Amino acid sequence: METENCKKTALYEKHLKRKAKMVCFAGWNMPLQYDKITTEHITVREKAGIFDVSHMGEFTIKGKSALDFLQKLVPQDISKMKEGKAVYTQLCNPSGGIIDDLIIYRLQDENNTYNFLLIVNAANTAKDFDWIIANQDDTRNATVNDVTDKYSLIALQGPEAATILNSAGIEFGNHPKKFYLIETTLRDFKCIIARTGYTGEDGFEILIKNQYAPQIWDLLTEKGEPCGLTPIGLAARDTLRLEAALPLHGNDIDEDTTPIEAGLEWSVKLDKPHYIGKEVLQKQINEGTDKIFIGFKMLTPNIPRKGCELFQEGRIIGNTTSGSIAPYLNCSIGMGYIDKSASIKPGDRIEVLIRNKKYPAEIVKRPFYKSEKR
Amino acid sequence: MSQNQEIPENILCTKTHEYVIVEGNTATIGITQYAAEQLGEIVYVELSDIDTKIPKGDSFGTVESVKAASEVYMPISGKIIEVNERLTSEPELINEDSYNLGWLIKVEGEFPPEALEEMMSMDDYLAFIED
Repeated sequence: METENCKKTALYEKHLKRKAKMVCFAGWNMPLQYDKITTEHITVREKAGIFDVSHMGEFTIKGKSALDFLQKLVPQDISKMKEGKAVYTQLCNPSGGIIDDLIIYRLQDENNTYNFLLIVNAANTAKDFDWIIANQDDTRNATVNDVTDKYSLIALQGPEAATILNSAGIEFGNHPKKFYLIETTLRDFKCIIARTGYTGEDGFEILIKNQYAPQIWDLLTEKGEPCGLTPIGLAARDTLRLEAALPLHGNDIDEDTTPIEAGLEWSVKLDKPHYIGKEVLQKQINEGTDKIFIGFKMLTPNIPRKGCELFQEGRIIGNTTSGSIAPYLNCSIGMGYIDKSASIKPGDRIEVLIRNKKYPAEIVKRPFYKSEKR
Repeated sequence: MSQNQEIPENILCTKTHEYVIVEGNTATIGITQYAAEQLGEIVYVELSDIDTKIPKGDSFGTVESVKAASEVYMPISGKIIEVNERLTSEPELINEDSYNLGWLIKVEGEFPPEALEEMMSMDDYLAFIED
């Protein structure tokens, strides 16, 4: 339900015009769905979808010490990033727990010095900002700003996304590569186009000042229509990310789970100076963790949800953190944590407790779905 | 998402958005069009077995949308004599035609007027959901 106390994005009127079902999410009035969730989901897998994700938080960190500051905040090695690069990482607490996960973008230097953009989860924006500020030692040589309310973020995702961006005026040759960005113009409006997303498809995320967002939304919608592009709501965004086995903060990862436990070890670097949480993460990499993140596929049509207990040979071994039908795969899937003593090879059987009954499931490799085009 | 469906005569609705259509000793039970719209696209239905006796107010199954699972409750006491098998492969019938093809169960029992007293006519129900 739409509520009065929720903020409106610059694209709010566009959603009402398309008769979206609106919800208040993380303090923002957001489109939950415009059409059937499964239809929207399949449109993104087969054609393309456009998403208003302006609720996401955006911070800039600029200045001479911005690099050292970020190096201290996240387990990724930011020193390896050139201008125009993006990386997925986390903000960890001293126990290695994930305060939030985010993407850091290195923009073109400004005044001969570092210029970073951070895109964080909407529900965590205020908490993240406080954490970053609280951990800043050198306030003279790095400036942190929350620019969430000034910018809109439009995601264009799906196999046709690149073609649509091309017809909107960005030539293929100028497209950023996966996990890179370009600073360019669309219809003469300055914008940042990054080849990132949260759907498991090829696609782009476009950051643009609020006042230009409605025109860019219209431009992309118009250019995308011949390819079958439609607007997509938050509900399908969630099923898309789950099929792609991308973790959702607050469900699959939180302050009590580390990136190592969550299977995100690839994004944790030890060969860099000290950072918050490093000792714990180093120990877990060397010695292993007590719980292991897994994906499973139901062997019956029952739908697992967050918080279902998982069993193996009658013994409780863990809990689900996400679960849903997988509209593109035509089955039910889930992710969760299980004890290291359990047998978790792909193909191993587990049971999922759903409303007091156990149903069979099979451990499968993540992601559940992988785009051929990526 | 839902079309204008034909609304059967003698339909009675509950505050928890189930409906019942009584014909002698049998009754057809389902969820209202409004409930189906609120749930969104229904993708899975789980119903109690035939021959189960369930008292009024107890759950007789679960209706699941992409986002959530919702229990459905008996508006009257009765024994299940039929479940809508079509919903196994076509759960969307609940969204498309909740009062006809999208029924959930048929029960057998005694349904004296007192048993139906707390329920609302369709007109009263529509006024109730307006509030």
